[in-house]
Amino acid sequence: MTIENSSVQVLGIDAGGTMTDTFFVRADGRFVVGKAQSNPEDESLAIYNSSVDALAHWGREVDDVYPELVTCVYSGTAMLNRVLQRKGLDVGLICNKGFEQVHSMGRALQSYLGYALEDRIHLNTHRYDAPLVPISRTRGVTERTDVQGKIVIPLRVEEVRQATRELVEAGSKAIVICLLQSHKNEDSEKLARDACKEELKKLGADIPVFASVDYYPQRKESHRMNTTILEAYGAEPSRATLKLVSDRFKKHGAKFDLRVMATHGGTISWKAKELARTIVSGPIGGVIGSKMLGEALGDENIACSDIGGTSFDVALITKGSFAIKSDPDMARLVLSLPLVAMDSVGAGAGSFVRIDPYSKSIKLGPDSAGYRVGTCWPESGLETVSVSDCHVVLGYLNPNNFLGGLIKLDVQRARDHIKAQIADPLGLSVEDAAAGVIELLDLTLSEYLRANISARGYNPTEFTCFSYGGAGPVHTYGYTAGVGFKDVVVPAWAAGFSAFGCACADFEYRYDKSVDLAVPQHGTDAAKIAACKVLQEAWAELASKVVEEFIINGYKAEDVLLIPGYKMQYTGQLNDLEIISPITNAATAADWDKIVEAFETTYGRVYANSARSPELGNSATGAIMRGTVVTQKPVLPEDPDGGPTPPAEAFLGTRPFYRHKKWVDAKLYKMELLKAGNHIVGPAIIESDATTFVVPNGFETTVDKHRLFHLKEVK
Amino acid sequence: MNMLSNTETGFADLLKNGQTLSQFRGDVIERTNTTGYYNGLEKLELRERDPIGYEKLFSKLRGGLVHARETAKKIAASPIVEQEGELCFTLYNAIGDCVLTSTGIIIHVGTMGAAIKYMIENNWEANPGIAPGDMFTNNDCAIGNVHPCDIATIVPIFHEGRLIGWVGGVTHVIDTGAVTPGSMSTGQTSRFGDGYMITCRKTGVNDTPLRDWLHESQRSVRTPKYWILDEKTRIAGCHMIRELVEEVIAADGIESYEKFCYEVIEEGRRGLMMRIKDMTIPGVYRKVAFVDVPYAHEDIGVSSKFAKLDSIMHSPCKMTIKQDGKWRLDFEGASRWGWHTFNAHQVAFTSGMWVMMCQTLVPTQRINDGAYFATEFRLPKGTWCNPDDRRTGHAYAWHFLVSGWSALWRGLSQAYFSRGYLEEVNAGNANTSNWLQGGGINQDGEIHAVNSFEASSCGTGACAVKDGLNHAAAIWNPEGDMGDIEIWEMAEPLLYLGRNVKANSGGYGKYRGGCGFETLRMVWNSQDWSMFFMGNGYMNSDWGLMGGYPSATGYRFEAHNTGLERRIANGEAIPLGADLDPGLHTYEQSIDATSLVKRDKQCMTTEDCYANHDLYLNYLRGGPGFGDPLDRDVKSIEKDLNELFLLPEFAAKVYAAVVTQNAKGVYTVDAAKTAARRAEFRKERIARSVPTREWMKEERARIISKHASTPVQHMFATSFALSEVFKNEFKTFWNLPADWDVLETELGVPSYGSKFRMDLSLMPDVRTIVQVEE
Repeated sequence: MTIENSSVQVLGIDAGGTMTDTFFVRADGRFVVGKAQSNPEDESLAIYNSSVDALAHWGREVDDVYPELVTCVYSGTAMLNRVLQRKGLDVGLICNKGFEQVHSMGRALQSYLGYALEDRIHLNTHRYDAPLVPISRTRGVTERTDVQGKIVIPLRVEEVRQATRELVEAGSKAIVICLLQSHKNEDSEKLARDACKEELKKLGADIPVFASVDYYPQRKESHRMNTTILEAYGAEPSRATLKLVSDRFKKHGAKFDLRVMATHGGTISWKAKELARTIVSGPIGGVIGSKMLGEALGDENIACSDIGGTSFDVALITKGSFAIKSDPDMARLVLSLPLVAMDSVGAGAGSFVRIDPYSKSIKLGPDSAGYRVGTCWPESGLETVSVSDCHVVLGYLNPNNFLGGLIKLDVQRARDHIKAQIADPLGLSVEDAAAGVIELLDLTLSEYLRANISARGYNPTEFTCFSYGGAGPVHTYGYTAGVGFKDVVVPAWAAGFSAFGCACADFEYRYDKSVDLAVPQHGTDAAKIAACKVLQEAWAELASKVVEEFIINGYKAEDVLLIPGYKMQYTGQLNDLEIISPITNAATAADWDKIVEAFETTYGRVYANSARSPELGNSATGAIMRGTVVTQKPVLPEDPDGGPTPPAEAFLGTRPFYRHKKWVDAKLYKMELLKAGNHIVGPAIIESDATTFVVPNGFETTVDKHRLFHLKEVK
Repeated sequence: MNMLSNTETGFADLLKNGQTLSQFRGDVIERTNTTGYYNGLEKLELRERDPIGYEKLFSKLRGGLVHARETAKKIAASPIVEQEGELCFTLYNAIGDCVLTSTGIIIHVGTMGAAIKYMIENNWEANPGIAPGDMFTNNDCAIGNVHPCDIATIVPIFHEGRLIGWVGGVTHVIDTGAVTPGSMSTGQTSRFGDGYMITCRKTGVNDTPLRDWLHESQRSVRTPKYWILDEKTRIAGCHMIRELVEEVIAADGIESYEKFCYEVIEEGRRGLMMRIKDMTIPGVYRKVAFVDVPYAHEDIGVSSKFAKLDSIMHSPCKMTIKQDGKWRLDFEGASRWGWHTFNAHQVAFTSGMWVMMCQTLVPTQRINDGAYFATEFRLPKGTWCNPDDRRTGHAYAWHFLVSGWSALWRGLSQAYFSRGYLEEVNAGNANTSNWLQGGGINQDGEIHAVNSFEASSCGTGACAVKDGLNHAAAIWNPEGDMGDIEIWEMAEPLLYLGRNVKANSGGYGKYRGGCGFETLRMVWNSQDWSMFFMGNGYMNSDWGLMGGYPSATGYRFEAHNTGLERRIANGEAIPLGADLDPGLHTYEQSIDATSLVKRDKQCMTTEDCYANHDLYLNYLRGGPGFGDPLDRDVKSIEKDLNELFLLPEFAAKVYAAVVTQNAKGVYTVDAAKTAARRAEFRKERIARSVPTREWMKEERARIISKHASTPVQHMFATSFALSEVFKNEFKTFWNLPADWDVLETELGVPSYGSKFRMDLSLMPDVRTIVQVEE
């Protein structure tokens, strides 16, 4: 129901490289989207401008709405860009002596991270990026701790003092300390940290010190070192940016505490200690938004699919939770951050289409037209066919209403290019060639989606597929057809879904710690109890870190809901699985058995039962603690039922539409004017300014009260 | 009755067409040979009729293969499989020709294909039978496997009771129960020491491994835990792919699927020819590669005295690129196999080569056996790459295989350069290895073996427009990675004391090769421990192009009785970090003077004991350079000096750079003074030079008087004995007298095996598969 004077409660911000989107949600579930050009110099200004744009739809003012807001979540690419452009802080690095080049060497795999499959094997294309810390600001100190945590060579503390002096002299604005195996025994690194701080004090140098054990005490030094450096190099400058944003909000009367979307899928305060984990945030928003919609619809297994111009991102929510990857890579760096597990394939709605000169096969991507759409936009200057060209030629897209009519597309120009570049070489008509490209892309996406589900041991019939991203709804039918999903859902706000999702995220901190607990298959009760003790201690340590973060933001310890987890593998394996703990407190042999049982169940599902190896015993490799507090989230719209027949004013006419070797007339509808309960049978195309939802023959869709479109195959 | 049933002894009709697999395969070969098109497919009917449908099939199958590999590899415990990705899954048609393969070490496209063909030609269908749910295991080097540590699981795929294909999965295991530990050991001289050898054995029925196999195989190796998880990895992957094929057939029909399985190979054949046509210039390219086999040294402990011999392996290659894009690779003149583990089966060569080619000539997902059909191989029988004796050892076949391929890469680069594809040029790339291997009782008190895959990050060859990449890739793996120290320390009872770029290891040139790197290890927490070295020592396998230098040669450093325990406790100097200038012996200054140190060029050793606090330097030698070093940009020299990639002495000697160093240790290269020095340098070069004909005269005299070291003579003697053609070419080139010859018998070295040899094909009831011109 629409309430005219409903208050505005939630603001989601997606500050991208070119545009800054704001997404405001009222208490009645109505929302508006605002856009403004991004301003890297002062992001707060772009957010303000975008807010003005959004609120104009409701005829309201910033100064009058900001004080009403209870929740505001920021996501953006500023930190990522700072890292990619190597515009971070001048950091100094203290590592073990004899390992001074380890960071600048990087891992060899960083020379092909982010590459498409074919370039990964094409050796001469590989390259390294510049290290975040140059060798000239790196110093080694004598120390070695072994893999079991025993100190083999004690720290020579005087070398730390000397290194500190040299790094300050070399112009360091922050000092990072990362010693080998410090995740296993933190003593040497803490000793080094304290000595470094003392020396800085003596020098009167007011610069921060980042010890890896205080941030990311996890195995794999290249990941841990990169991440701790990132904290100093990129996150601290970002904190300054966020402060500007927060200050501007305050100036306009805001009372909320600004939160930032983080890689682990929760939001954290901009004052949080570990800000590096906000390096990637936008794409995660979609997963969080899907999770919340799933909860509203009663779906606990969701396949999230986000199709943008260059890539297709897939994430799975199973039993109401998403998976976390603990050593991901971002910005071509291996990192040690918990990241919502997403898999991407480099094919999207704007991908270029070419005929491979050697195999004469159709090649999609890996590069894409991006904002230049395709050859159908004469001003783009493009000569290479893109997927969008195919869509325009086949009547999927309205050439006169692209981005709400912002640019006009030239169908004939696209036809000519498709004919010359694709159709003629394959001996096909322009229509069949264009349709072939789309079928191929959709197949790639649907196979990818299916493979991702089956790789985790599930069947698509157990899943609801959410499809979003600006270009998502054009492809939804194509990549979901035949997969057998329980339901396929397209939100009316598909184009602003990431910003929406960010606003849905819990206020949640998550901390991880490596542990090494091995218990044989038929271990003694004493061994199990001992293992539980260590795990429980780790949980307690992490829990205090989590609670401490909330206290900074004015919460009380009892407000925090703690969710323990762990990582486990068969002893000797190198890959662990993350499990949400079936117990909140580990103490007894029976507790250990429950921990193992939960692992066995998950393992058998992921890798097939035949791959289970209980005879090897089980090792817990990591302790995890998540903590959340209650926050205001966007409310979904609740519209009255308007019956199955769309209102006359929503019908815009028809357009020729080509699929399965024939032209048909597709009915056109204006998305915003459709009512809850409306039922549309394909061929139909539902248009809004930011997105186009295609419902071809053999498909039908219904709008529900939350303004979600459910797409169905008609058998 | 206690005897085999009819179907087991007789004809199984697996194809439901009245033919045996061998008959059917014979027909395909026949059609291929008579028409020149794979299986006679002059027209790709499915593809031409429905290009989109064909691409969809491709996309589904390839995507599924890649995904199966990614999922299955997480089961493994071995860092070789899990971190280094040493596993690969491949889909075959019914006769064992590769349709598509996953990512990974794609050498196994052909090696598993050879195993399938061996089963086909030796009537496995009658006995032991081939049925749905069966699993076969193979690692036999005499029928095509590269080295015994590559274990393959092969699963037949049936559709409605009819055999329609196979899927194979391979992992590189950490130990094969050879005479010495580690996956590629050197302590044995023949197959009988290479470890557990399995010949296409049926190891599972009804998708379940047989218990006798599980018991026998696990106790046949040193590391059963890794072994069993590797096996589970392979089985899980194969079954995922079999399921994928079933789904594809359900969706697209058996007819399309089977058509695809043959057309895609013909397409692959054409694809390679088109690339060769597009990127190269027809003609004959002659290249050669060598590797030393320094087995006379006291640190090579082998059981056979006749193996104690310093020799050189020889791989001359004549690459003929034809106008139609076909090419022929002829290794006439290669030296004989030897009593070491560096021999290779013909399939290891013909199949393995693609692991390199797909990094440069065919960097595509569309690689399959079509590439093999577009290539003519000539590997003369009796050579190291096609042995004629069933006793040969193969555990470290890679040692010379990859060295031999570096010659191909140089040949191709010359062709790219001529054609103008400067970006594709690579001066030969890198297999400048040391393999740290060993075993014993580890930090957990278990019998253990190690095999460090740091060697997968050698440093790459220079390109014609840029330097090689430091400490990245190896010629056998473009996706090489040195891994995390904290992971290797879990697998090895060795404490790292340093990991650094190896200065001066990238070959000098206008564009230098990528530098290798080095790690210093201290034996730590072991109970009984042994290690050995296995790397390039006296000779380089890759040489550089167009004036570029080779990468560095090898050396070994090991130290015992170091006194480090006491030195650490007392806070005394200890060796940490790089052996920056090996000539300075800096490590020796931080260990006790009474230490036993081995610092020499003997880079091949066998298992030796190490106590805790002993030292071992693992050093990768980098890649070769491109172009004249005098053309190198001075700023690049300066940068290399300041990043410790280059020692000042060599900046002056090789690059003719005039270098100064300020009080803070920062190097500067003076551009004007360097230009002047380079002008002088060029004059000095001219002063030193002699006309080629003069030089040849002197060389000829040395050849006639046999003024060459015994290993060089031995190498030529074995090449000449195998090839009159090569001997005559050599003699004609040097204009030698008619009666000139070099014979093994005159060299005074062991020549066991030089006269009498017995090939596997002579064994009763064995049909070997020959896929090359011999």
